[in-house]
Amino acid sequence: MTPAETTTAGGALLVLAILLPAAGILASFALGGRNAEKIALGSAPLALLIALAILAEVWRSGRPIVYAIAGLSPPLGIALRADGISAAMLVTTALIIPAAGLYARAGFATPPEKRESRKALTFWIMLQAISAALAIVFVSGDLFNLYVALELLTFAAVPLACVEGRAETYAAALRYLLFALFGSIFYLLGCALLYGAFGTLDIALLAERMRPLPAVTAAAALMTAGLLAKTALFPLHIWLPPAHANAPAPASAVLSGLVVKGSFFLTVRLWFYVLPALPAAGFDAILGALGSAAVVFGSVLALRQARLKLLIAYSTIAQIGYLFLIFPLASGLHPWTVDGWNGGMMQVLAHAFAKAAMFLAAGLLYESLGHDKIAKFSGAARAMPMTFLTLGLGGLSLMGLPPSGGFAAKWLLLRASVASGQWFWALVLLAGGLLAAGYVYRILAPALSSHPVVLKAPPRRAGEAIALTLALVAVALGFAPESFFQLIAIGRPGLATAGLP
Amino acid sequence: MTALGSFLLAASLAVPAAFFAACFFPRRRDAALAWQWVAPVPALLAALAALAAGPFDLEAPALKLSLRLDLPAALLLLVSALLWIAAGAGAFVDRAERPERRAAVSWLLTMIGSLGVFVADDLVSFYLFYALVSIPAYGMFAFDPSPETQRAGRIYLAFALLGEAFLLFAFAMLAVGEPHGSLRIPDVVAALRGSPWRDAALALLVAGFGAKMGLVPLNGWMPLSYVATPVPAAAVLGGAGVKAGVIGLIRFLPLGIPLAGSGEALAFIGFATAFYGVVVGVTQQNAKAVLAYSSVSQMGVIAAALGMALAAGDPDAPALVAFYAANHVLVKGALFLAIGAFAARSARPAAWTPLAVALALSLAGLPFTGGALAKAVTKPLFGYGFAAVLASASSAGSAMLMLHFVSRLPSLRRSDATASPEPLVRFWPAAAAGALVVPYVLLPFVGSFEDAFALSKLWDGLWPIAVGALLVVWLARAAHRLPRIPAGDTIVFGEKAFNRTMSSGSLFDRIDAAFGRWPAAGLALLAIVLALAYATAGAG
Repeated sequence: MTPAETTTAGGALLVLAILLPAAGILASFALGGRNAEKIALGSAPLALLIALAILAEVWRSGRPIVYAIAGLSPPLGIALRADGISAAMLVTTALIIPAAGLYARAGFATPPEKRESRKALTFWIMLQAISAALAIVFVSGDLFNLYVALELLTFAAVPLACVEGRAETYAAALRYLLFALFGSIFYLLGCALLYGAFGTLDIALLAERMRPLPAVTAAAALMTAGLLAKTALFPLHIWLPPAHANAPAPASAVLSGLVVKGSFFLTVRLWFYVLPALPAAGFDAILGALGSAAVVFGSVLALRQARLKLLIAYSTIAQIGYLFLIFPLASGLHPWTVDGWNGGMMQVLAHAFAKAAMFLAAGLLYESLGHDKIAKFSGAARAMPMTFLTLGLGGLSLMGLPPSGGFAAKWLLLRASVASGQWFWALVLLAGGLLAAGYVYRILAPALSSHPVVLKAPPRRAGEAIALTLALVAVALGFAPESFFQLIAIGRPGLATAGLP
Repeated sequence: MTALGSFLLAASLAVPAAFFAACFFPRRRDAALAWQWVAPVPALLAALAALAAGPFDLEAPALKLSLRLDLPAALLLLVSALLWIAAGAGAFVDRAERPERRAAVSWLLTMIGSLGVFVADDLVSFYLFYALVSIPAYGMFAFDPSPETQRAGRIYLAFALLGEAFLLFAFAMLAVGEPHGSLRIPDVVAALRGSPWRDAALALLVAGFGAKMGLVPLNGWMPLSYVATPVPAAAVLGGAGVKAGVIGLIRFLPLGIPLAGSGEALAFIGFATAFYGVVVGVTQQNAKAVLAYSSVSQMGVIAAALGMALAAGDPDAPALVAFYAANHVLVKGALFLAIGAFAARSARPAAWTPLAVALALSLAGLPFTGGALAKAVTKPLFGYGFAAVLASASSAGSAMLMLHFVSRLPSLRRSDATASPEPLVRFWPAAAAGALVVPYVLLPFVGSFEDAFALSKLWDGLWPIAVGALLVVWLARAAHRLPRIPAGDTIVFGEKAFNRTMSSGSLFDRIDAAFGRWPAAGLALLAIVLALAYATAGAG
């Protein structure tokens, strides 16, 4: 048994990453009114600085940074732990949340005649709550602690989905809530079983003590299924399209770009960090098969949607499907798992930025045209070139065409599937790309025609700039240098042997 | 010289990229687009320098780019840059007839891809430029709202994307098969020899590049899109654009080691395409469709030549085939301009028709044209057996097809699709003369004049033309008895199958609705739990 983990250099940064948004929430409640917006946006640069500091420290030390809360090491205390993927996800969150926040200023300002409005206060507090919850998801080293983070994430995300207060948003949010709660219950049951078997929920300790017990089997199945429901993996996806498509654009961007990645991240933690010692065979094929079904199903349904936001939401279902190919393509101790892991993680980031950009652009379209019916987009690209450029660049990444993060991800995943002889996943990746091209074409082709179009209002310049910036980040990920992949390999279990040919 | 060469190589992509960057500044945008025809000048100079003192290499690791300008690339880059400059100048100089902005941006992006694909030296750069020469080309013609153009645009894009998917799969196999992690094309192709995925990768490469070249059965998009494309754009796409597929085959086929099976298969596809293009082409009435089928046929000849070279393990094939393709770039570009010119004038100068005939028959190898040099240079690739007979027969077929094309010229009327800017109408004879002369300048780099003008070669060049002329007389008599094959031939079946697939989409709606009901969702969750538990416990 390795010596108990103690706080490393920079460990306090992890606490700060959680405390900052938490303090922001409390302050927003206490001060209320307009202050919530100011606090949410004002703390964003600080959150980004902390995330970058964590990234720098992980990169510098070349291993995960740890903080033992109250000085107590696991199993007595709870550890916070940040490795390469934690750092990358923290930075991503710290970029997308403020982007959504800045974009939302126009729609979620407290009206001048009022001191406080329910809608605005809810939005700004919940946005910070999502920051806090995601920070815990990314740095927590304890499965129960992660359960709390998941619940917090759900209870922050559901109000965001229905913050507009329309009847259909309530219906969608209620369904979202029920799915998420079922997911949580399954996850919690699994936690209880693991605790009963091993007396700890610390990820590192569990990984060491892992043995194939009936309780572990049940726990792994329950926890995974719960997390899949929260991640909206096909066929448990049904709550996502109405919830994401009916939410206001900045909320959709956060929900689709980041929130579903929270539970996916946990699935990765579970299978790659807690259970790898388990001699399980076939779970990776099951997850890969569900992911493949999601790619085909989500894409075909995206092709059939009449409304842009629903199309983008179904595209999220397809893109989530790609993420689950990481299980067959990166588990085990093979040389090709490096490509599978890098490709999967690149897909997480590329989709986060591309999808956030596209939802924001869809919001701008809705504001300017007064609708988001694709059939009536004719000529709109001439009136709103920046918005459609954003949709095009985001689409480029979704299709996996170069240069973009989506291409880098697809390329790496393809290589892994060829190298491992798992042809089927390669076919899924290619078919998914073609189907994505189909639905991106549906958005862009009519819009580029020379049909005259009348805008209700010119698009907001600031909003366009924010959305375009996110899309450009998705494209720039295609140029990610080798050091980026070295970063996300830090702390990845089993790498020491897998890295060798 | 090497430093200068590398500099020119960098500039040949950086300058067009700078024009593109200028499009993001509203005040520079229109000037950048109007002057974009000068952007290929550095590429032209780089190609000249490479012919004189090449090859040149260039690495830009920060951009993940590595370039190489060797003889085959220089030949194709030179003539493509010439064509882009000539057609671009004609299209953009006259303010009144300039393509509108979105088509002009597409033109610029396609040009970058077209020039870049010849010099890309690693898998990822190649794929990037290949995507650029394929996908933005949609915008050069498909914004016109007429249903035929829309249909052509959709089909074009579908084939372009399908080709990209084939290639990406092939590239993944190539990359994985290279043991040292290199992505450079020569390295991955060298490793292909011993790769377990050799045959699969070769098949995918041929399918991917074949989709661009219009090899049967992936040929249907070509006539449709050329018919819909304005003349200047058709000239650059039909001349330079399709050569992305040719350079692809040249770069990626493991030439130099005999691969009999794969080579013969490719030669078979090539010859089948060469004759198929002629047979369907002579039933076409639209002059642009005839040119499209002639392109199909010519690309078939190129594929057949490469197939024979692959089977024989001929390491000299790249430069020879590139020379043949370079001649096609010039001639096909000039022939499209001829359509624009003939359509624009009802009273035509007397010299126009003989010039058009010479140009057209150049593709069939008429002696003393560039085409005769191209045929002479590639003749050794076909050997002296059955393949040589087939190659000559395809020349006869080409002669028939091209005479059929010439017979379509007098009746051309001015329409949107044949509209050509005034400068291109006035200067097309110069372009045509250039297309006939430039191959003479290039010949010394790949062959010798003695070989090309041997008396036997003269005879080799003449008899297929004579046979073709007889066939076209027969064709004129039998024209009313021939079936009317729609432009795009087999594409009609593809569309039917596609529509049938699309109509099954409502099934997905029903599945979606079914999973939306709580009992179904609950059952799905339960099934996942059980399946995972089974998998986790199974091996335990």
